[in-house]
Amino acid sequence: MIEESTYYFKQAGKVMNEYYANEGQLNAVIGTRKYIDNHFDKDLKLDLLSDVRFTSKFHLLRLFKKYYGQTPKQYIIGKRIEKAKEFLKKGRTITDTCFEVGFDTPSSFSTLFKCRVGLTPTEFQKRATFTKFDKFSF
Amino acid sequence: MKVKVTSIPVQDQEKALQFYTEKLGFVKKVDVPLSEHSRWLTVVSKEDQEGVEILLEPAPNHFEPSKIYQQALFEAGIPYTQFNSDDVQRDYERLIDLGVEFSVKPTAMGTVKIAVFNDTCGNNIQIVEML
Repeated sequence: MIEESTYYFKQAGKVMNEYYANEGQLNAVIGTRKYIDNHFDKDLKLDLLSDVRFTSKFHLLRLFKKYYGQTPKQYIIGKRIEKAKEFLKKGRTITDTCFEVGFDTPSSFSTLFKCRVGLTPTEFQKRATFTKFDKFSF
Repeated sequence: MKVKVTSIPVQDQEKALQFYTEKLGFVKKVDVPLSEHSRWLTVVSKEDQEGVEILLEPAPNHFEPSKIYQQALFEAGIPYTQFNSDDVQRDYERLIDLGVEFSVKPTAMGTVKIAVFNDTCGNNIQIVEML
């Protein structure tokens, strides 16, 4: 609990007591997010996630969106793109990266990557390699 | 349009640069002298050097309303800026060892864990870990 007396502590305490009071719901969404983080490369379906948390998939969807502000699907895509950037920076091929982060086809991966990052995976990798090389030259 | 730079008002740019690089571990990216007393000075995360730059901006010294706003936020304990952390407890312990003062110790708050420290340049900064 936040017990200090500044304006910020009071407001934060209020939010905590009013918005985060339901411990069962919190545990369900936090557990779901951790599960996604550990299995982002698998074929994650909401049915599977709701089985893991012993709850209905629609309820889980609503809870996840309520607490994280994103649907599980949006969150999974964000996670996969973030991981794909790491793999591409390490020099992995685009096809390898695509499958290792859990996307089905390189073409859908490239389209989604371009949409989210503003560069195709190839362009992103070239730029990352160039930046690394650039730093070595100083 | 892209988000490329965001600002943090600081009372002393050189002191801020030292704090943000030596204590927080950020890296200086751009440093352009603009006048005798001010620079276009930005830092970035070490692990994301092509990411968003933080402009350490000396507004409180040149623009009275900025100074008043910064002071009011500071006194209310409000962190206007926050950084993400993979492990708030670990960063808290590392920063405590470096002499950084915290007004909020690592505290779980719903789906996040937060902590708030004093950047010694007039600001409360919050670090956040998603749970």
